[in-house]
Amino acid sequence: MRKQFKATVSELAAKDDKLVLILGDISVYLFNDFKQKHPDRFYNMGICENTLISAAAGLSSQGFFPFVHTIAPFITERSFEQIKDDMCYNQFGGNIVSIGGSFDYAWDGATHHCYTDLGILRMLPGMEVLQPGSAKEVDILVRKLYRNGKPTYFRLSDNPHAIDVPCEFGKGVVLKEGRSGLTVMTAGPLLGNVLEACRDLDVNLVYFHAIKPIDKDVILKFKDSEILVVHDAWGLYEAVCSIGNLSASYHGIPQDQFCTWYGKVADVRKMIGLDPASIREIVSHKIRSGPQAAK
Amino acid sequence: MTMDPVCRQIRVDILDASRESGHGHIPTCFSIVEMAYASYQVMRHDPKNPAWNERDIFILSKGHASLGLYCVLARLGYFAIERVKTFGAFMSDFGCHPDRLKVPGVEVSTGSLGHGIGVGVGMALAFKISKSPRRVFCLIGDGEANEGSVWEAVMVAVDRKLSNLTILYDSNASQMRCMHLAAPAGRFKAFGCDTVEVDGHDAGALAKALKAASDRPRVLVADTKKGFGCKTLVENVYEWHRRSPTEQEHKMLLAELNAQTI
Repeated sequence: MRKQFKATVSELAAKDDKLVLILGDISVYLFNDFKQKHPDRFYNMGICENTLISAAAGLSSQGFFPFVHTIAPFITERSFEQIKDDMCYNQFGGNIVSIGGSFDYAWDGATHHCYTDLGILRMLPGMEVLQPGSAKEVDILVRKLYRNGKPTYFRLSDNPHAIDVPCEFGKGVVLKEGRSGLTVMTAGPLLGNVLEACRDLDVNLVYFHAIKPIDKDVILKFKDSEILVVHDAWGLYEAVCSIGNLSASYHGIPQDQFCTWYGKVADVRKMIGLDPASIREIVSHKIRSGPQAAK
Repeated sequence: MTMDPVCRQIRVDILDASRESGHGHIPTCFSIVEMAYASYQVMRHDPKNPAWNERDIFILSKGHASLGLYCVLARLGYFAIERVKTFGAFMSDFGCHPDRLKVPGVEVSTGSLGHGIGVGVGMALAFKISKSPRRVFCLIGDGEANEGSVWEAVMVAVDRKLSNLTILYDSNASQMRCMHLAAPAGRFKAFGCDTVEVDGHDAGALAKALKAASDRPRVLVADTKKGFGCKTLVENVYEWHRRSPTEQEHKMLLAELNAQTI
Protein backbone atom coordinates (compact mmCIF):
# COMPACT_ATOMS: atom_id res chain seq x y z
CA MET A 1 0.00 0.00 0.00
CA ARG A 2 2.84 2.38 0.80
CA LYS A 3 4.36 1.83 -2.64
CA GLN A 4 1.00 2.50 -4.21
CA PHE A 5 0.63 5.67 -2.17
CA LYS A 6 4.02 6.79 -3.47
CA ALA A 7 3.11 5.94 -7.05
CA THR A 8 -0.27 7.67 -6.90
CA VAL A 9 0.98 10.81 -5.17
CA SER A 10 3.98 11.06 -7.50
CA GLU A 11 1.75 10.83 -10.54
CA LEU A 12 -0.64 13.43 -9.14
CA ALA A 13 2.19 15.78 -8.16
CA ALA A 14 3.50 15.80 -11.74
CA LYS A 15 0.24 17.37 -12.85
CA ASP A 16 -0.71 19.35 -9.76
CA ASP A 17 1.71 22.02 -8.56
CA LYS A 18 -0.41 22.59 -5.45
CA LEU A 19 0.33 19.12 -4.05
CA VAL A 20 2.87 19.25 -1.21
CA LEU A 21 4.36 16.27 0.64
CA ILE A 22 5.34 16.55 4.31
CA LEU A 23 7.10 13.58 5.91
CA GLY A 24 7.78 12.98 9.57
CA ASP A 25 11.06 11.22 8.78
CA ILE A 26 9.32 8.09 7.54
CA SER A 27 9.24 6.58 4.02
CA VAL A 28 11.98 9.05 3.09
CA TYR A 29 13.93 6.81 0.70
CA LEU A 30 10.70 5.67 -0.88
CA PHE A 31 10.06 9.25 -1.96
CA ASN A 32 13.55 10.00 -3.33
CA ASP A 33 12.18 10.42 -6.85
CA PHE A 34 9.54 12.83 -5.61
CA LYS A 35 12.20 14.83 -3.83
CA GLN A 36 14.34 15.02 -6.97
CA LYS A 37 11.45 16.06 -9.19
CA HIS A 38 9.70 18.46 -6.81
CA PRO A 39 12.26 19.79 -4.33
CA ASP A 40 10.10 22.80 -3.50
CA ARG A 41 7.16 20.57 -2.60
CA PHE A 42 8.95 17.88 -0.59
CA TYR A 43 9.57 18.45 3.11
CA ASN A 44 10.99 15.84 5.43
CA MET A 45 10.12 18.25 8.18
CA GLY A 46 11.24 16.40 11.27
CA ILE A 47 9.95 14.25 14.10
CA CYS A 48 7.48 16.91 15.20
CA GLU A 49 4.00 15.61 14.50
CA ASN A 50 2.15 18.54 16.06
CA THR A 51 3.87 20.97 13.73
CA LEU A 52 3.43 18.68 10.73
CA ILE A 53 -0.34 18.97 11.12
CA SER A 54 -0.34 22.69 11.93
CA ALA A 55 1.93 23.44 8.97
CA ALA A 56 -0.27 21.36 6.67
CA ALA A 57 -3.25 23.42 7.85
CA GLY A 58 -1.33 26.60 7.07
CA LEU A 59 -0.45 25.36 3.59
CA SER A 60 -4.04 24.37 3.02
CA SER A 61 -5.23 27.84 4.06
CA GLN A 62 -3.26 29.24 1.14
CA GLY A 63 -4.62 26.90 -1.52
CA PHE A 64 -2.22 23.97 -1.34
CA PHE A 65 -3.16 20.30 -0.97
CA PRO A 66 -0.79 18.85 1.62
CA PHE A 67 -0.12 15.20 2.37
CA VAL A 68 1.28 14.56 5.85
CA HIS A 69 2.76 11.10 6.20
CA THR A 70 4.16 9.35 9.23
CA ILE A 71 3.40 6.62 11.80
CA ALA A 72 -0.21 6.24 12.94
CA PRO A 73 -0.13 6.76 16.74
CA PHE A 74 2.13 9.78 16.52
CA ILE A 75 0.23 11.66 13.83
CA THR A 76 -3.24 10.91 15.20
CA GLU A 77 -3.16 10.34 18.96
CA ARG A 78 -0.31 12.78 19.65
CA SER A 79 -1.62 15.40 17.23
CA PHE A 80 -5.34 15.00 17.88
CA GLU A 81 -5.78 18.60 19.03
CA GLN A 82 -3.91 19.99 16.01
CA ILE A 83 -6.20 17.96 13.76
CA LYS A 84 -9.25 19.14 15.72
CA ASP A 85 -8.37 22.84 15.90
CA ASP A 86 -6.05 23.63 13.00
CA MET A 87 -7.68 21.43 10.38
CA CYS A 88 -11.28 20.72 11.37
CA TYR A 89 -12.35 23.81 13.37
CA ASN A 90 -10.51 26.19 11.06
CA GLN A 91 -11.72 24.28 8.00
CA PHE A 92 -8.19 24.05 6.62
CA GLY A 93 -8.28 20.65 4.95
CA GLY A 94 -5.43 18.30 4.23
CA ASN A 95 -4.51 14.67 3.82
CA ILE A 96 -3.11 12.68 6.72
CA VAL A 97 -1.65 9.38 5.59
CA SER A 98 -0.49 6.99 8.28
CA ILE A 99 1.35 3.72 8.29
CA GLY A 100 1.53 1.23 11.14
CA GLY A 101 -2.08 1.17 12.29
CA SER A 102 -3.38 -1.41 14.78
CA PHE A 103 -0.63 -4.01 15.26
CA ASP A 104 1.41 -3.55 12.08
CA TYR A 105 4.39 -2.74 14.32
CA ALA A 106 3.54 -5.46 16.82
CA TRP A 107 7.18 -6.04 17.66
CA ASP A 108 7.59 -2.44 18.83
CA GLY A 109 5.12 -2.78 21.65
CA ALA A 110 2.13 -0.80 22.85
CA THR A 111 3.60 2.67 22.21
CA HIS A 112 3.58 1.83 18.51
CA HIS A 113 0.19 0.12 18.41
CA CYS A 114 -2.66 2.30 17.20
CA TYR A 115 -6.29 1.23 17.35
CA THR A 116 -7.98 4.43 18.53
CA ASP A 117 -7.16 6.55 15.43
CA LEU A 118 -10.26 5.70 13.41
CA GLY A 119 -12.52 6.02 16.45
CA ILE A 120 -11.27 9.40 17.65
CA LEU A 121 -10.97 11.00 14.24
CA ARG A 122 -14.49 10.02 13.16
CA MET A 123 -15.81 12.16 16.03
CA LEU A 124 -14.32 15.36 14.60
CA PRO A 125 -16.76 17.49 12.58
CA GLY A 126 -15.90 17.61 8.90
CA MET A 127 -13.33 14.80 9.05
CA GLU A 128 -13.24 11.98 6.52
CA VAL A 129 -11.81 8.68 7.78
CA LEU A 130 -10.66 6.03 5.30
CA GLN A 131 -9.22 2.59 5.87
CA PRO A 132 -8.28 1.18 2.49
CA GLY A 133 -7.39 -2.51 2.64
CA SER A 134 -5.40 -2.91 -0.56
CA ALA A 135 -3.20 -1.00 -2.99
CA LYS A 136 -6.06 -0.68 -5.43
CA GLU A 137 -8.24 0.94 -2.79
CA VAL A 138 -5.46 3.37 -1.85
CA ASP A 139 -5.12 4.48 -5.45
CA ILE A 140 -8.84 5.01 -6.01
CA LEU A 141 -9.54 6.79 -2.73
CA VAL A 142 -6.50 9.09 -2.77
CA ARG A 143 -7.23 10.24 -6.32
CA LYS A 144 -10.85 10.83 -5.47
CA LEU A 145 -10.43 12.76 -2.24
CA TYR A 146 -7.09 14.51 -1.94
CA ARG A 147 -8.23 17.79 -3.49
CA ASN A 148 -11.65 18.17 -1.87
CA GLY A 149 -10.46 20.62 0.78
CA LYS A 150 -11.59 18.48 3.71
CA PRO A 151 -9.43 17.00 6.45
CA THR A 152 -9.04 13.40 5.32
CA TYR A 153 -7.35 10.52 7.09
CA PHE A 154 -6.02 7.59 5.07
CA ARG A 155 -4.85 4.71 7.23
CA LEU A 156 -2.44 2.55 5.20
CA SER A 157 -0.99 -0.80 6.18
CA ASP A 158 2.00 -2.89 5.19
CA ASN A 159 -0.25 -5.95 5.54
CA PRO A 160 -2.96 -5.48 2.90
CA HIS A 161 -5.58 -8.06 2.07
CA ALA A 162 -5.31 -9.73 -1.35
CA ILE A 163 -8.94 -9.51 -2.36
CA ASP A 164 -10.09 -7.53 -5.37
CA VAL A 165 -13.02 -5.58 -3.91
CA PRO A 166 -15.02 -2.94 -5.80
CA CYS A 167 -14.10 0.47 -4.43
CA GLU A 168 -16.28 3.54 -4.56
CA PHE A 169 -15.95 6.30 -1.94
CA GLY A 170 -18.61 6.04 0.73
CA LYS A 171 -20.00 2.74 -0.51
CA GLY A 172 -19.84 -0.44 1.54
CA VAL A 173 -19.50 -3.69 -0.35
CA VAL A 174 -21.65 -6.78 0.16
CA LEU A 175 -19.24 -9.64 -0.41
CA LYS A 176 -21.66 -12.45 0.33
CA GLU A 177 -25.22 -12.98 1.46
CA GLY A 178 -26.50 -15.89 3.54
CA ARG A 179 -29.68 -17.03 5.28
CA SER A 180 -28.64 -17.40 8.91
CA GLY A 181 -29.66 -13.89 9.92
CA LEU A 182 -26.12 -12.99 10.89
CA THR A 183 -24.21 -10.19 9.16
CA VAL A 184 -20.48 -9.84 9.66
CA MET A 185 -19.09 -6.36 9.03
CA THR A 186 -15.41 -5.45 8.76
CA ALA A 187 -13.05 -2.88 7.27
CA GLY A 188 -9.48 -2.59 6.03
CA PRO A 189 -6.81 -5.27 5.78
CA LEU A 190 -8.51 -7.57 8.30
CA LEU A 191 -10.89 -8.52 5.49
CA GLY A 192 -8.34 -11.16 4.51
CA ASN A 193 -8.81 -13.02 7.78
CA VAL A 194 -12.55 -12.40 7.95
CA LEU A 195 -13.23 -13.66 4.44
CA GLU A 196 -11.06 -16.72 5.01
CA ALA A 197 -13.01 -17.42 8.20
CA CYS A 198 -16.45 -16.89 6.68
CA ARG A 199 -16.01 -18.04 3.10
CA ASP A 200 -18.19 -21.16 3.45
CA LEU A 201 -20.30 -20.00 6.40
CA ASP A 202 -23.95 -19.04 5.96
CA VAL A 203 -23.60 -15.32 6.76
CA ASN A 204 -23.84 -11.94 5.11
CA LEU A 205 -20.44 -10.25 4.81
CA VAL A 206 -20.12 -6.49 4.40
CA TYR A 207 -16.86 -4.63 3.86
CA PHE A 208 -16.14 -0.90 4.32
CA HIS A 209 -13.29 1.26 2.99
CA ALA A 210 -14.68 4.31 4.76
CA ILE A 211 -15.39 4.62 8.48
CA LYS A 212 -16.65 8.16 7.87
CA PRO A 213 -18.79 8.75 5.97
CA ILE A 214 -20.19 5.34 6.80
CA ASP A 215 -22.46 3.79 4.19
CA LYS A 216 -25.81 3.94 5.99
CA ASP A 217 -27.68 2.35 3.13
CA VAL A 218 -25.76 -0.89 3.26
CA ILE A 219 -26.17 -1.08 7.04
CA LEU A 220 -29.90 -0.46 6.74
CA LYS A 221 -30.09 -3.25 4.18
CA PHE A 222 -29.13 -5.64 6.99
CA LYS A 223 -30.84 -3.82 9.89
CA ASP A 224 -33.09 -6.75 10.68
CA SER A 225 -30.22 -9.19 10.96
CA GLU A 226 -27.88 -9.75 13.87
CA ILE A 227 -24.75 -7.70 13.17
CA LEU A 228 -21.28 -8.73 14.30
CA VAL A 229 -18.54 -6.16 13.70
CA VAL A 230 -15.14 -7.85 13.46
CA HIS A 231 -12.38 -5.25 13.38
CA ASP A 232 -8.86 -4.64 14.66
CA ALA A 233 -9.58 -1.09 15.84
CA TRP A 234 -12.23 1.08 17.44
CA GLY A 235 -14.39 3.21 15.17
CA LEU A 236 -16.20 0.91 12.78
CA TYR A 237 -18.45 -0.55 15.47
CA GLU A 238 -19.35 2.92 16.75
CA ALA A 239 -20.02 4.08 13.17
CA VAL A 240 -22.31 1.11 12.52
CA CYS A 241 -24.15 1.63 15.80
CA SER A 242 -24.71 5.30 14.95
CA ILE A 243 -27.53 4.09 12.73
CA GLY A 244 -29.52 3.20 15.83
CA ASN A 245 -31.98 0.42 16.67
CA LEU A 246 -29.61 -2.30 15.53
CA SER A 247 -28.75 -5.52 17.27
CA ALA A 248 -25.00 -5.31 16.99
CA SER A 249 -21.98 -6.63 18.84
CA TYR A 250 -18.23 -6.28 18.49
CA HIS A 251 -15.30 -8.65 18.33
CA GLY A 252 -11.78 -7.27 18.20
CA ILE A 253 -9.77 -5.04 20.51
CA PRO A 254 -9.91 -6.21 24.15
CA GLN A 255 -11.73 -3.92 26.58
CA ASP A 256 -9.59 -1.68 28.80
CA GLN A 257 -6.30 -3.45 28.32
CA PHE A 258 -3.09 -2.83 26.40
CA CYS A 259 -1.93 -5.55 24.01
CA THR A 260 1.58 -5.84 25.34
CA TRP A 261 2.73 -8.83 23.34
CA TYR A 262 5.55 -8.43 20.83
CA GLY A 263 5.97 -10.50 17.67
CA LYS A 264 4.27 -10.04 14.32
CA VAL A 265 0.83 -8.72 13.46
CA ALA A 266 -0.40 -12.30 13.03
CA ASP A 267 0.75 -13.15 16.55
CA VAL A 268 -1.21 -10.33 18.17
CA ARG A 269 -4.24 -10.96 15.99
CA LYS A 270 -4.22 -14.60 17.11
CA MET A 271 -3.83 -13.58 20.74
CA ILE A 272 -6.96 -11.41 20.61
CA GLY A 273 -8.99 -13.78 18.46
CA LEU A 274 -8.65 -12.10 15.10
CA ASP A 275 -6.90 -14.93 13.26
CA PRO A 276 -9.09 -16.80 10.73
CA ALA A 277 -9.64 -19.83 13.00
CA SER A 278 -10.76 -17.73 15.98
CA ILE A 279 -13.04 -15.54 13.87
CA ARG A 280 -14.56 -18.68 12.34
CA GLU A 281 -15.21 -20.15 15.75
CA ILE A 282 -16.95 -17.01 17.00
CA VAL A 283 -19.05 -16.57 13.87
CA SER A 284 -19.98 -20.27 13.84
CA HIS A 285 -21.01 -20.07 17.48
CA LYS A 286 -23.29 -17.12 16.75
CA ILE A 287 -24.86 -18.93 13.82
CA ARG A 288 -25.50 -22.02 15.96
CA SER A 289 -26.83 -20.01 18.89
CA GLY A 290 -29.23 -17.90 16.87
CA PRO A 291 -29.87 -14.17 16.96
CA GLN A 292 -29.78 -13.75 20.77
CA ALA A 293 -26.19 -14.99 20.97
CA ALA A 294 -24.89 -11.88 19.30
CA LYS A 295 -26.18 -9.61 22.07
CA MET B 1 6.94 59.81 25.17
CA THR B 2 3.15 59.64 25.23
CA MET B 3 0.90 56.74 24.39
CA ASP B 4 -0.09 56.60 20.73
CA PRO B 5 -3.56 58.20 20.61
CA VAL B 6 -5.02 55.37 18.53
CA CYS B 7 -3.67 52.84 21.01
CA ARG B 8 -5.18 54.85 23.84
CA GLN B 9 -8.55 54.84 22.05
CA ILE B 10 -8.25 51.06 21.49
CA ARG B 11 -7.80 50.66 25.25
CA VAL B 12 -10.89 52.78 25.85
CA ASP B 13 -12.76 50.51 23.43
CA ILE B 14 -11.54 47.44 25.33
CA LEU B 15 -12.71 48.86 28.65
CA ASP B 16 -16.08 49.85 27.17
CA ALA B 17 -16.66 46.45 25.55
CA SER B 18 -15.61 44.62 28.70
CA ARG B 19 -17.88 46.77 30.85
CA GLU B 20 -20.82 46.33 28.50
CA SER B 21 -20.39 42.60 27.88
CA GLY B 22 -19.35 41.44 31.31
CA HIS B 23 -16.36 39.60 29.83
CA GLY B 24 -12.73 40.36 29.23
CA HIS B 25 -9.11 39.54 29.73
CA ILE B 26 -8.33 43.25 30.06
CA PRO B 27 -4.71 43.11 31.31
CA THR B 28 -3.55 40.75 28.56
CA CYS B 29 -5.46 42.78 25.94
CA PHE B 30 -3.76 45.96 27.10
CA SER B 31 -0.45 44.12 26.84
CA ILE B 32 -0.80 43.46 23.10
CA VAL B 33 -2.37 46.70 21.83
CA GLU B 34 0.78 48.33 20.42
CA MET B 35 2.09 45.02 19.02
CA ALA B 36 -1.10 44.28 17.12
CA TYR B 37 -1.57 47.87 15.98
CA ALA B 38 2.05 48.24 14.84
CA SER B 39 1.83 44.96 12.92
CA TYR B 40 -1.08 46.27 10.89
CA GLN B 41 0.83 49.50 10.26
CA VAL B 42 3.52 47.56 8.38
CA MET B 43 1.34 44.81 6.90
CA ARG B 44 -0.21 44.89 3.46
CA HIS B 45 -3.91 44.57 4.13
CA ASP B 46 -7.23 46.06 3.10
CA PRO B 47 -9.99 46.41 5.71
CA LYS B 48 -12.54 46.72 2.92
CA ASN B 49 -11.34 43.49 1.34
CA PRO B 50 -10.22 41.17 4.15
CA ALA B 51 -9.80 38.27 1.70
CA TRP B 52 -7.43 40.24 -0.59
CA ASN B 53 -5.15 37.55 -1.95
CA GLU B 54 -1.98 39.63 -1.62
CA ARG B 55 -2.48 40.50 2.04
CA ASP B 56 -0.04 39.75 4.81
CA ILE B 57 -1.25 37.56 7.66
CA PHE B 58 -1.58 38.35 11.36
CA ILE B 59 -2.19 35.44 13.73
CA LEU B 60 -3.17 36.06 17.34
CA SER B 61 -1.91 32.79 18.77
CA LYS B 62 -2.78 33.83 22.34
CA GLY B 63 -6.45 33.85 21.45
CA HIS B 64 -7.59 34.94 24.91
CA ALA B 65 -6.54 38.47 23.93
CA SER B 66 -9.21 38.44 21.24
CA LEU B 67 -10.94 41.55 22.57
CA GLY B 68 -7.73 43.48 21.98
CA LEU B 69 -7.53 42.22 18.40
CA TYR B 70 -11.21 43.00 17.74
CA CYS B 71 -10.75 46.57 18.94
CA VAL B 72 -7.64 47.00 16.78
CA LEU B 73 -9.46 45.63 13.72
CA ALA B 74 -12.46 47.87 14.42
CA ARG B 75 -10.31 50.99 14.62
CA LEU B 76 -8.65 49.95 11.33
CA GLY B 77 -12.08 49.81 9.68
CA TYR B 78 -12.79 46.08 9.44
CA PHE B 79 -16.14 46.50 11.22
CA ALA B 80 -17.95 48.90 13.53
CA ILE B 81 -16.80 48.99 17.14
CA GLU B 82 -20.42 48.71 18.27
CA ARG B 83 -20.48 45.10 17.07
CA VAL B 84 -17.64 44.23 19.43
CA LYS B 85 -19.75 45.18 22.43
CA THR B 86 -21.68 41.93 22.01
CA PHE B 87 -18.41 40.28 23.09
CA GLY B 88 -18.91 36.80 24.52
CA ALA B 89 -22.71 36.89 24.24
CA PHE B 90 -24.86 34.07 22.89
CA MET B 91 -25.02 34.35 19.07
CA SER B 92 -22.37 37.10 18.98
CA ASP B 93 -19.67 36.77 16.32
CA PHE B 94 -17.15 38.11 18.80
CA GLY B 95 -16.18 35.34 21.19
CA CYS B 96 -13.67 35.32 24.02
CA HIS B 97 -11.45 33.45 21.58
CA PRO B 98 -11.56 34.47 17.90
CA ASP B 99 -13.30 32.53 15.13
CA ARG B 100 -11.96 33.21 11.65
CA LEU B 101 -15.25 32.19 10.06
CA LYS B 102 -17.13 34.87 12.00
CA VAL B 103 -14.89 37.92 12.28
CA PRO B 104 -13.43 39.69 9.21
CA GLY B 105 -9.67 40.03 9.57
CA VAL B 106 -9.22 37.06 11.88
CA GLU B 107 -7.02 34.66 9.94
CA VAL B 108 -6.85 31.69 12.31
CA SER B 109 -9.30 30.56 14.98
CA THR B 110 -7.22 30.22 18.12
CA GLY B 111 -7.72 29.50 21.79
CA SER B 112 -5.75 26.44 22.76
CA LEU B 113 -2.22 27.76 23.17
CA GLY B 114 0.74 26.74 21.06
CA HIS B 115 -0.92 26.41 17.66
CA GLY B 116 -0.30 29.76 15.95
CA ILE B 117 3.34 29.46 14.98
CA GLY B 118 2.83 26.00 13.50
CA VAL B 119 0.01 27.21 11.27
CA GLY B 120 2.08 30.30 10.46
CA VAL B 121 4.95 28.04 9.41
CA GLY B 122 2.65 26.41 6.85
CA MET B 123 1.46 29.78 5.57
CA ALA B 124 4.99 31.14 5.31
CA LEU B 125 6.05 27.96 3.51
CA ALA B 126 3.14 28.39 1.09
CA PHE B 127 4.31 31.94 0.29
CA LYS B 128 7.88 30.73 -0.25
CA ILE B 129 6.74 27.98 -2.61
CA SER B 130 4.62 30.51 -4.50
CA LYS B 131 7.52 33.00 -4.57
CA SER B 132 5.16 35.53 -3.03
CA PRO B 133 6.37 38.53 -0.99
CA ARG B 134 3.57 37.98 1.52
CA ARG B 135 4.57 37.84 5.19
CA VAL B 136 3.22 36.19 8.33
CA PHE B 137 3.15 37.84 11.76
CA CYS B 138 2.35 35.68 14.76
CA LEU B 139 1.82 37.08 18.25
CA ILE B 140 2.38 34.62 21.10
CA GLY B 141 2.32 34.96 24.86
CA ASP B 142 5.15 34.20 27.25
CA GLY B 143 2.86 31.82 29.14
CA GLU B 144 2.06 30.19 25.83
CA ALA B 145 5.77 29.54 25.40
CA ASN B 146 5.44 26.90 28.13
CA GLU B 147 3.95 24.77 25.36
CA GLY B 148 6.43 22.48 23.62
CA SER B 149 4.67 22.94 20.30
CA VAL B 150 5.87 26.58 20.25
CA TRP B 151 9.50 25.51 20.22
CA GLU B 152 8.87 22.62 17.86
CA ALA B 153 7.40 25.06 15.33
CA VAL B 154 10.23 27.55 15.88
CA MET B 155 12.76 24.81 15.09
CA VAL B 156 10.97 24.00 11.84
CA ALA B 157 10.76 27.69 10.91
CA VAL B 158 14.50 28.09 11.42
CA ASP B 159 15.32 24.86 9.61
CA ARG B 160 13.25 26.03 6.62
CA LYS B 161 14.74 29.55 6.77
CA LEU B 162 11.31 31.15 6.86
CA SER B 163 12.46 34.75 6.65
CA ASN B 164 8.89 35.80 5.91
CA LEU B 165 7.74 34.76 9.40
CA THR B 166 7.91 37.22 12.29
CA ILE B 167 7.04 36.19 15.84
CA LEU B 168 6.00 38.81 18.37
CA TYR B 169 6.69 37.54 21.88
CA ASP B 170 4.57 39.24 24.52
CA SER B 171 7.05 39.30 27.38
CA ASN B 172 4.74 40.47 30.16
CA ALA B 173 5.94 38.15 32.92
CA SER B 174 2.61 36.35 33.03
CA GLN B 175 4.16 33.17 34.39
CA MET B 176 5.99 34.54 37.41
CA ARG B 177 3.93 32.28 39.69
CA CYS B 178 4.42 29.24 37.46
CA MET B 179 7.15 28.55 34.86
CA HIS B 180 8.58 31.93 33.94
CA LEU B 181 10.98 31.78 31.00
CA ALA B 182 13.90 34.00 31.92
CA ALA B 183 15.92 35.66 29.16
CA PRO B 184 13.60 34.73 26.29
CA ALA B 185 15.67 36.59 23.70
CA GLY B 186 18.61 34.31 24.44
CA ARG B 187 16.39 31.28 23.99
CA PHE B 188 15.14 32.39 20.57
CA LYS B 189 18.70 33.30 19.53
CA ALA B 190 19.87 29.86 20.61
CA PHE B 191 17.18 28.34 18.41
CA GLY B 192 18.58 30.29 15.46
CA CYS B 193 16.10 33.17 15.16
CA ASP B 194 17.02 36.73 14.29
CA THR B 195 16.00 38.20 17.63
CA VAL B 196 15.61 41.77 18.80
CA GLU B 197 14.33 43.18 22.07
CA VAL B 198 11.99 46.12 21.87
CA ASP B 199 9.71 48.22 24.06
CA GLY B 200 6.36 46.52 23.49
CA HIS B 201 4.41 49.69 24.20
CA ASP B 202 6.33 51.92 21.78
CA ALA B 203 4.31 51.60 18.57
CA GLY B 204 6.95 53.47 16.56
CA ALA B 205 9.82 51.31 17.72
CA LEU B 206 7.75 48.18 17.11
CA ALA B 207 6.88 49.26 13.56
CA LYS B 208 10.54 49.97 12.82
CA ALA B 209 11.57 46.56 14.14
CA LEU B 210 8.78 44.85 12.19
CA LYS B 211 9.90 46.41 8.90
CA ALA B 212 13.45 45.09 9.16
CA ALA B 213 14.32 42.30 6.74
CA SER B 214 16.15 39.14 7.70
CA ASP B 215 17.38 35.91 6.21
CA ARG B 216 15.79 33.93 9.06
CA PRO B 217 12.62 33.90 11.11
CA ARG B 218 12.56 37.10 13.09
CA VAL B 219 11.49 37.37 16.72
CA LEU B 220 10.59 40.58 18.50
CA VAL B 221 10.83 40.02 22.23
CA ALA B 222 8.49 42.79 23.32
CA ASP B 223 8.88 44.08 26.85
CA THR B 224 5.30 44.66 27.96
CA LYS B 225 3.16 45.10 31.04
CA LYS B 226 -0.13 43.40 31.64
CA GLY B 227 -2.72 46.12 32.03
CA PHE B 228 -0.40 48.78 30.61
CA GLY B 229 -2.07 52.17 30.76
CA CYS B 230 -4.01 51.66 34.00
CA LYS B 231 -2.15 51.67 37.31
CA THR B 232 -4.82 49.56 39.01
CA LEU B 233 -4.57 46.81 36.40
CA VAL B 234 -0.77 46.73 36.42
CA GLU B 235 -0.65 46.48 40.19
CA ASN B 236 -3.42 43.87 40.49
CA VAL B 237 -2.86 41.61 37.51
CA TYR B 238 -4.15 38.38 39.01
CA GLU B 239 -7.30 39.95 40.42
CA TRP B 240 -8.11 41.47 37.03
CA HIS B 241 -7.03 38.52 34.90
CA ARG B 242 -10.51 37.67 33.71
CA ARG B 243 -13.02 40.12 35.04
CA SER B 244 -15.18 42.96 33.82
CA PRO B 245 -15.22 46.34 35.58
CA THR B 246 -18.20 47.61 37.53
CA GLU B 247 -19.56 51.02 36.54
CA GLN B 248 -17.46 52.71 39.19
CA GLU B 249 -14.33 50.74 38.28
CA HIS B 250 -14.91 51.52 34.63
CA LYS B 251 -14.86 55.26 35.37
CA MET B 252 -11.76 54.85 37.51
CA LEU B 253 -9.91 52.88 34.83
CA LEU B 254 -10.83 55.41 32.14
CA ALA B 255 -9.55 58.19 34.36
CA GLU B 256 -6.30 56.34 34.97
CA LEU B 257 -5.93 55.68 31.25
CA ASN B 258 -6.53 59.30 30.30
CA ALA B 259 -4.04 60.49 32.89
CA GLN B 260 -1.40 58.09 31.65
CA THR B 261 1.84 59.42 30.25
CA ILE B 262 4.67 57.06 29.52
